[in-house]
Amino acid sequence: MTPHKRSLLDPAVLISSGPLTVLLLLFFLGPIVLTLLLTFQETEFYRLQWAWSLKTWSGVFSNPTYWTVIGRTLMFSVESTVICLLVAYPVAYAMATRLVQYNHHIVILVAFAFLTDAVLKAFGWVLILDKNGIGNWLLAQIGLGPGVIDFLFTPSATLLGVVYSLSAYPLFTIYLSLARIDRDLILAAQDAGAGRLRIFWTITLPLSKPGLLAGAVLVFVLSLGTFLESKVLGGGKSPLASELIRQTFETRVNWPLGAALTTVLVVLASAALAGLGWLLARQNRKGAAE
Amino acid sequence: MPPPIINATNVVKNYGGFRALAGVSLTVEDGEFMALVGPSGCGKTSLLKILAGFEDLTDGQLTIQGKDMRGVPAAARPTRMVFQKLALFPHMTIRDNIAFPLQTAKVDPAMIDRRVQEMMVLMHLKPEYLTRFPAQLSGGEQQRVALARALISNPSVLLLDEPMSALDAKLKKSLQAELKKLHRELGTSFVLVTHDLEEAMMLADRICVMVAGQIVQIGAPMDIYRSPANSFVAGFIGETNMLPVKVSRGGAGFVLAPKVAEGNPVVLHQDRVSPEAIGETGLLLVRPEDGVFVDGPVSADMWTLRGVVDEKFTKGASTQYRIRVPDLSQNFVLETSGYDAGHIQIGHKVTIGLSPANCYLLKDTP
Repeated sequence: MTPHKRSLLDPAVLISSGPLTVLLLLFFLGPIVLTLLLTFQETEFYRLQWAWSLKTWSGVFSNPTYWTVIGRTLMFSVESTVICLLVAYPVAYAMATRLVQYNHHIVILVAFAFLTDAVLKAFGWVLILDKNGIGNWLLAQIGLGPGVIDFLFTPSATLLGVVYSLSAYPLFTIYLSLARIDRDLILAAQDAGAGRLRIFWTITLPLSKPGLLAGAVLVFVLSLGTFLESKVLGGGKSPLASELIRQTFETRVNWPLGAALTTVLVVLASAALAGLGWLLARQNRKGAAE
Repeated sequence: MPPPIINATNVVKNYGGFRALAGVSLTVEDGEFMALVGPSGCGKTSLLKILAGFEDLTDGQLTIQGKDMRGVPAAARPTRMVFQKLALFPHMTIRDNIAFPLQTAKVDPAMIDRRVQEMMVLMHLKPEYLTRFPAQLSGGEQQRVALARALISNPSVLLLDEPMSALDAKLKKSLQAELKKLHRELGTSFVLVTHDLEEAMMLADRICVMVAGQIVQIGAPMDIYRSPANSFVAGFIGETNMLPVKVSRGGAGFVLAPKVAEGNPVVLHQDRVSPEAIGETGLLLVRPEDGVFVDGPVSADMWTLRGVVDEKFTKGASTQYRIRVPDLSQNFVLETSGYDAGHIQIGHKVTIGLSPANCYLLKDTP
């Protein structure tokens, strides 16, 4: 069959792709362009001035405070990504191998937690993590001294909340990768004399890489935008990038600066996505995706 | 005679409430090519998995090279398996795929390289394939890689689970020929699971026909073709014509009188009678090549049938006719060898001659 190339002016193409194009232009590309334009403006007495300049950007690059926050956000995202993967992998592995008959139950439980409103979940953790909360009360019941759990309003509490919210993503992407592995590959490796650990390292783990990478990028990108958890569980003591952006927009009413910081965050997230794309393409070239 | 390399006795396998194998006994001689055939769900793959060590047997005994295999894992058995979908590791190069069994056994790297080279030569794989990935190879080449991986550790028994079922007809034929040659050269015992009887006939020294978890017949391909245990086995291998006959016991064996055909009663030798066929009536198995077209009087030991040619297929080296005979429920299939002279066409009235003494008597199906 010869490939049939359709003209973009073909009415059928225009009609079928039209709504999506309009939607993307209005609600995706539009805001990004607007944000970019804003970064080249100035503010004076809390008022936006349309005066094209690089003042905002030079301010961003010369003030280390912003980069401390962005660096902290990056570190936080890396931590949350690593922990999410470490939490999700064993569960996904169990779902794909040992607990196949309980799959639906696990999926329902995870989906339930996943779909519960984020604010509700965050305050749920407050109830558990509070010094006089359920967590410590339960520990006291089994004889563990008072105040064992004492990290509410610390970065660790933020991390816990984010990991709880986001682990479902890698759980499902990894599960899908693992479920796709032909069981005969495992049998073939067994037949060839490989032990469990070797089979895991040489067959299972490499073949679940697409799911790991996809899950990692989802968690990383979503962690970059962490806002709620750092406020409710972290107590706002060491703000992350989103909090900084909110303050810049709302408290300092400096829209150009807020837009510039947003741009930095978007660029970081895009870089993560591009990196994943590159890794997956390399994987595909190797023929792993068949 | 040396002891058999595989000795399975009364093997039973249950999956939950389902009985996949209901007491199967089978021996495979050292160096033999055994084919396990049967319709889907007959237990042939379960039996292969039990031989490989992927499944435990529920009851019975299995020895390989005289050793009891109960609790012996796949890797510790002298067997290697070629999987139906080959199960090549998609993320590893051809070299790493083939070397995998030796790498897990921590064989000296120089030795691994040498063995991989030997396997590449044995399986006619081009050296530049070493660095490629399975998805970059054709179906036939992948097949050879799978064989190379299975053979690199010198197994005593090679287990093949329908490895050629996904290939197109032409490639299948050439790989079948290669497999047969490989078997001759290596002297390794092969156990092949297949539902393709032609394949089993072509390749195997002995064929084991299984139905519903039981072995119906084990024998050389020609025995199974000429003397099938029952009409199921007869119909499973090749085309059949079943001629109803009256049976009575005579001095040297059984006396057959035709019910549909015309002709004199004939004495059938004991070994041309299925052990099951002991009623007063039976079915005479007539293979397509057992029938001939006759014109005029026939010898006293021949039977004749009259019919009209319903269909005709020219196969090149042979011609197949399907002839409508009034008292037979199915068309009589007759095959003549040699080129078609063209003097018998669809619609012609013909007389079929056959020698019942050459045919095989089966039990009447109820």
